[in-house]
Amino acid sequence: MNFKYGMLTPLLALFGVAVGFPLCYAVYLSVTDYRLTDREPPGFVGAANFVSALSNPAFWEAFTTTAIYVVIAVCGELVIGFALALALHQQRWAKDLSRAIVLAPMFITPIAVGLIFRFLLNDQIGAVPALLHAVGANYDFFGSGRALLTLAFIDIWQWTPFMVLLILAGLESMPKQPMEAARVDGAGPVYRLRRVLIPMLAPVLTVAVLLRGLDALRVFEYVYATTRGGPGTETQTLQYFMYLEGIQFFRLAQASAMAFIVLVLVLAVIVIAFRTIERNKA
Amino acid sequence: MTIPTFGRDSARPKPARWLPAFLATMVLVMSGCAGTGGSGEQESSGVGDVPTDTSGTVRVLMENVPDTDIVKSLVGEFNKKYPDIKVDIETMTFDQMRDRLVSSFQASEPAYDLIVVDNPWMDDFAAAGFLEPLDERIASTTDYRPDDFFPSLTAITDVDGTKYGVPFYNYALGYIYNARDLAAAGLSVPTDLDSLVQTSQRLKSGDRAGIAMQPQRGYKIFEEWANWLFAAGGSIYDQDGNPTLNTEQAARALNAYIETYRTAAPPNSLAWGFDEAFRSVSSGKAASMISYNWNLPALNDPSGASGERAGQFALAPIPGGKSALGLWSWAIPTNSAAPDAAWAFIAWITSPDIDAERVAKGGAVIRQSSLTNQKVLDEGFGAEYYKTVGEILKDAEPLTQGQGGEEMIQAVGTELNDAAAGNKSVEDALRDAQAAVERIQK
Repeated sequence: MNFKYGMLTPLLALFGVAVGFPLCYAVYLSVTDYRLTDREPPGFVGAANFVSALSNPAFWEAFTTTAIYVVIAVCGELVIGFALALALHQQRWAKDLSRAIVLAPMFITPIAVGLIFRFLLNDQIGAVPALLHAVGANYDFFGSGRALLTLAFIDIWQWTPFMVLLILAGLESMPKQPMEAARVDGAGPVYRLRRVLIPMLAPVLTVAVLLRGLDALRVFEYVYATTRGGPGTETQTLQYFMYLEGIQFFRLAQASAMAFIVLVLVLAVIVIAFRTIERNKA
Repeated sequence: MTIPTFGRDSARPKPARWLPAFLATMVLVMSGCAGTGGSGEQESSGVGDVPTDTSGTVRVLMENVPDTDIVKSLVGEFNKKYPDIKVDIETMTFDQMRDRLVSSFQASEPAYDLIVVDNPWMDDFAAAGFLEPLDERIASTTDYRPDDFFPSLTAITDVDGTKYGVPFYNYALGYIYNARDLAAAGLSVPTDLDSLVQTSQRLKSGDRAGIAMQPQRGYKIFEEWANWLFAAGGSIYDQDGNPTLNTEQAARALNAYIETYRTAAPPNSLAWGFDEAFRSVSSGKAASMISYNWNLPALNDPSGASGERAGQFALAPIPGGKSALGLWSWAIPTNSAAPDAAWAFIAWITSPDIDAERVAKGGAVIRQSSLTNQKVLDEGFGAEYYKTVGEILKDAEPLTQGQGGEEMIQAVGTELNDAAAGNKSVEDALRDAQAAVERIQK
């Protein structure tokens, strides 16, 4: 075997054990009737778990809830992150300090962020409701119709810095000449933004949105720390739903099947996104 | 790209170059995946009286709560009787416990020799064969007095006529109130559902809530509402074990619960659980709550969260007299490596004398005799408190019976929360809750 392939072997072996084995084991579980409380070898049930998941309204409700959450959170992060990145890009002094401050939320573990907001938004002891009360306002952050928005807001608070990081890197690696040429030609700021900056940043923005979207799909900690999926099932996201199914209710086989359905859908989105990027490049 | 090989092109045959790297990687990975091994497996003898020269290590998994700390403080005393049994207690938060337990049951090498089991898990774990039956051990332990345990507690450890656990601590609910507020309002302790609603409403003044409620989806709202259901004369199951959630009493209880939430609870508290309610009451922002009986000492602790309000709180049975009940039980996993040593510890820590010592240190009550034990009365939380706890435990019932307890609680708790949020009518919520329980526990 060629030496360069030999050098790859440890990585491949690790990858096989750390990723390949759990994935294959999950595939195996998804076609069985395995429950966490079973002590006997599970029976083969074929596609029954997939059919059951696809025909389960609760699964699709959780899917829709997650999709809405991802769209709100990622759009918010993109807009705010883009604005912040532009501001930081223009900054002339104390750049390192301000960037460190802006990026800080990203380094807190999500469960801690969930717990912080659980009490920060508490109507009796929270700072945010206290400020609202001071100006005569009242808002039920975890009430019906609002809880999902609140969770998306928490996501925006924590993960906008990630968007800032990627967009800022894109801005700093971008050639300055096209923007300067546009300015010399008399293009206004809005025109330059729309016609020069955004098109040049498009590949970075696509990757940033994709990465954040995939990460936001996995939302679990905020739900667990604050609403537990309520009111009713309004904030029951896919991950929380699968956690209940697989761990709380012992139906690991069904949860595995659901996870694979989500995986296929996500892979489809990724493939479409990258093909779009490639087409635009061409 | 070609990776430079710095002239090391080789004398050894080619496979030999990657094979050591591959093997080393596999060894590292496999050793990382390997368990730490058991503590030397022993066969279960099933005996009650374990000889004092028994040796072994008992690895215990417990929840990270004050009752566990009390148990830890007694291990030294246990070792005076059993010097060769090492009790190794590992604690973790509630949310981590069940996942760890289930994975340890499935492991080829036992991870724990003694565990504590929450009551919704008992039937599922017993049916799966994860727990050792304890009837013989209980019956053959000298001076153990199993009839002294509250029957409401031992009923939970009984699965189809076999006992799989021994009570460790109860978490029955009671009505906890600020006695000074109640007196100032000229009110007496509510004794039925209507007076609970009215008292809560009249205790509300300005920003101060009459009652801090816990309508969070899932376990919390079901646990709280069950007390309202009992107060309305309803039940969760009938005598034959059939669910009875879609009844006139249940509708009355849920209407009363929602009315109280809207008129007497802190505003915007739909996602509140225990932590928020406790903070609200201890900080004086709510006058009462329905919570675990052993929260009273915590609220009245001068060095605790209540500050100047410490000493103002009192405990009463749930209006109507019947409480929702929870229980943690000691149990021995069937794959325990030291079942006899584990039983030695269970039998010792739950024996009448040691139990009284544990309760006197602040542990939750499980034996009737501990309530009148002089040491408990002298060193514990006062005769009045223990009298009330005795009344509560006399008439208390768990949220669930049979397998699928967690799912049943989640399903009912979701419907109740939906109704409290105003997304569903009381009738629809109860109908759906009943249907869900029938489906889950058919």
